[in-house]
Amino acid sequence: MRFLVRRLGFLLIALWAALTVNFFIPRLMPGNPAEAILAQFHGRLNPSSLKAIEVALGIGGHQNLLSSYLEYLRNTVTGNFGVSTSYFPVPVTTVISRALPWSLGLVGISTVLGFLFGTALGAVAAWRRGGWLDNVLPPSFIVISAFPYFWVGLLSIWFFSLTLNWFPTLGGYTETATPTLTWGFVGDVLWHAVLPAFTILLTSIGGWILTMRNNMITVVAEDYVKMARAKGLRPRRILWQYAGRNALLPNLTGFAMSLGFVISGAILVEFVFNYPGVGFLLLQAVSAEDYPLMQALFLLITVAVLVAIFISDVATALLDPRTRSSR
Amino acid sequence: MKKFKVGLATSAMVLVASTITVVGPAAVDLTAASASPVAQAPLNLANEQGTLWSCSFNPFIPSSLPYSFGLTYESLDFVNALQSGKVTPWLASAYAWSNANKTLTFTIRSGVKWSDGVPFSAADVLYTFNLLKKYPALDLNSVWSVLSNVSASGNKVTMNFKSAAVPYLYYVGGQVPIVPQHLWSKIANPVTATISNPVGTGGYVMSKCSGQNIKWTANPHYWQKGKAQIKTVNMPAFLSNNTCNEYLASGQSAWGSQFIPNIQSAYVAKKAGNSYWFPPVANVSLFPNLTVPGLNDAKVRLAISYAINRSLVSKIGEYGYEPPASQTGIVSPTFKAWVSPAAAAGLSTTANTAKAAAILKADGYKLVNGVYTKGSTKLAFTLTTNGGYSDWIASMQVVSQQLTKFGIKITLQTPAQATFYSNLFAGKYQLAYNTEAGGPTPFYELRQMLFSKNSAPIGTAASSNWERYSNAATDALLNQYGTTTNLATQKAIVAKLEKVMVSQAPVIPVLEEVDWFQFNPTHIGNFPSAANPYAQPGLYNQPDWGYVLDNLVPKA
Repeated sequence: MRFLVRRLGFLLIALWAALTVNFFIPRLMPGNPAEAILAQFHGRLNPSSLKAIEVALGIGGHQNLLSSYLEYLRNTVTGNFGVSTSYFPVPVTTVISRALPWSLGLVGISTVLGFLFGTALGAVAAWRRGGWLDNVLPPSFIVISAFPYFWVGLLSIWFFSLTLNWFPTLGGYTETATPTLTWGFVGDVLWHAVLPAFTILLTSIGGWILTMRNNMITVVAEDYVKMARAKGLRPRRILWQYAGRNALLPNLTGFAMSLGFVISGAILVEFVFNYPGVGFLLLQAVSAEDYPLMQALFLLITVAVLVAIFISDVATALLDPRTRSSR
Repeated sequence: MKKFKVGLATSAMVLVASTITVVGPAAVDLTAASASPVAQAPLNLANEQGTLWSCSFNPFIPSSLPYSFGLTYESLDFVNALQSGKVTPWLASAYAWSNANKTLTFTIRSGVKWSDGVPFSAADVLYTFNLLKKYPALDLNSVWSVLSNVSASGNKVTMNFKSAAVPYLYYVGGQVPIVPQHLWSKIANPVTATISNPVGTGGYVMSKCSGQNIKWTANPHYWQKGKAQIKTVNMPAFLSNNTCNEYLASGQSAWGSQFIPNIQSAYVAKKAGNSYWFPPVANVSLFPNLTVPGLNDAKVRLAISYAINRSLVSKIGEYGYEPPASQTGIVSPTFKAWVSPAAAAGLSTTANTAKAAAILKADGYKLVNGVYTKGSTKLAFTLTTNGGYSDWIASMQVVSQQLTKFGIKITLQTPAQATFYSNLFAGKYQLAYNTEAGGPTPFYELRQMLFSKNSAPIGTAASSNWERYSNAATDALLNQYGTTTNLATQKAIVAKLEKVMVSQAPVIPVLEEVDWFQFNPTHIGNFPSAANPYAQPGLYNQPDWGYVLDNLVPKA
């Protein structure tokens, strides 16, 4: 119980710190959202419109930083994130709710798949130490993990969509189609998701393989595994029920954290594939100095990561009694 | 806008783009067809804005501007910047100046209906102008800074101006979209309201919008019979220039407004019919901060102008797409008829360093360690350009090299977009490279550059005239232009302004900003062209792009 309260206290303090940083950092940037909107028009807009835009967005004039900070805290607690300045006058919540499903689907599924495949491959590689799998997988994935997301994305576009013509180059679905719940449309979405998902999978799976393999090697040398072998249990049972389960524990925290980050999308992948997700939204919010959108997104990411870590802490404590008493 | 964004992925993507052979399957519209007996392929537009669509169609809010004004909402007149401000009647069938050019009377067209069937009338026009008065946030062109009142009677709308305001016909007639009173008067706050189902008088009705695409269908009851013949128009949202260029080059789009590096191989050679036309519309200029010692000297500014080889800057920085500009400030060939031969005499698109050196020597400057110096004034400046545009950076690198070699030391700075604009507006720079909005005659850009009231003290944001030029005689000339509708008199005034430009060089035009325009006339005809420049062809020009859409014709 005391453990739970302590973790919860930590969660709240971290949340407050993140909220505060979230408020002040964007305001240290030069310029303001009105100038950013004008800049977007590259001089095509009558210069006098700057004043009109400032009036519309409610900026200009001097605002007390402290009072706007308090108002921001209150709005955050009540879930009122205001109106996006780059998508004015659409509310931030609407903008995010349009993008979130795309990122959750794409990044969420590929993260889970990456974790499952990576962990399984890592476990098998360690089990057959010195086998061909163990000789090929870890070194090649060390190399592949070092590739930047966008570079792998560009290469796969060039090879699979431009040369082989198998997959579309961009978008979440055929750009002129209307989103409906029909097999045709769902198939279209999946067809568009293959390349970006493949890119994320390829570059993230290596990390899971390596950590799982290293955990397994330690666990396999433990006495209880030897005992299990001595008892004559089937190797497959020892691999998954005895060694794998214990080796998995450290990986769970990492998995929880990456699940939290799913909500931020994958900025570079979404940019390269023109994918309408949260990652791109974040990029755009920063370049357009869209404070309300930026704040809501950072808050969402922070909360998701903190909650995911909290849940994994609690889960680890439930699974492994040793962590409960540890200081 | 259609610039080449600098980014991690950029150079790598160019490599990819230049090796394209075949591009993915053609876009399939899963919902279209059925409307017309003969299936007509939808027209897809390639207009990279780096954003998903907001799906709010308020024509007075800049973030939704490009998606409604021109094709859903229409203005009283259409003013064509490519034909020296030629006025074509639109929702008003006629206009007339009276009262020493202080009163403008529009005759409102009859027989026009809103797309929901309600008749359009002069009351809607009156309502729209009063709306802008009530909500300054919607008055993007500050028309109420010059208007004193607007009234309507019968089919006439009368506008009274505070002073003679001939150039403002462009803003009140050509730049104010008219909205329906019967719907807008029910909106509690039109500044913050989301307009998701726009109702206008125009040729196209917005039929479906998602963040990824906007789809319009032709208005079946459009008042201009025989226009708006393209049945379906799509505008997908593109997040990066390269994906959009690829979409365009592969023929999935027949109309684009993109900056395409190596356009010949990356676009024209990709598909039969792919064509482009880049009409110049404004100047991209060096704005010298006139409060900086050295730059406050007209001789120094003239020397800078003569020392720049504009042809070379155009060739290296812009692939030759943006032609060299003239110190007269007149954009040609678009406004060729406005060039004053007296002012343009002796100007060249290449450098004249001998003349530049002679000007500085006569002014008392001497070369000291390769830098011109007079007393404690050393001609060494920082030059700042928008770090978001790689073509501008390349152009300014060439300019820096040319000027430094000549003896005016230039240090190039490329801050992020927000910092760049913030400093430019506030006058916190020495030399800056940027463009003014321009307008349908050269007067508009010259006024933006030179009118003292457009400026502001250093530290306060100026809307234009960032160099902080102030001259009573020039102000008087600019005011005089507004009092006459006589073209010959207007040209004589502009000629005097050109004289100011070539003798004082308050602004130094380097290249000409163009409209980015790619088109494929295989299945669609009547795109604007050099022979028939009936509207600006760039998709980001409002209301021009809607006007063009109305006039396009499908080919069998």
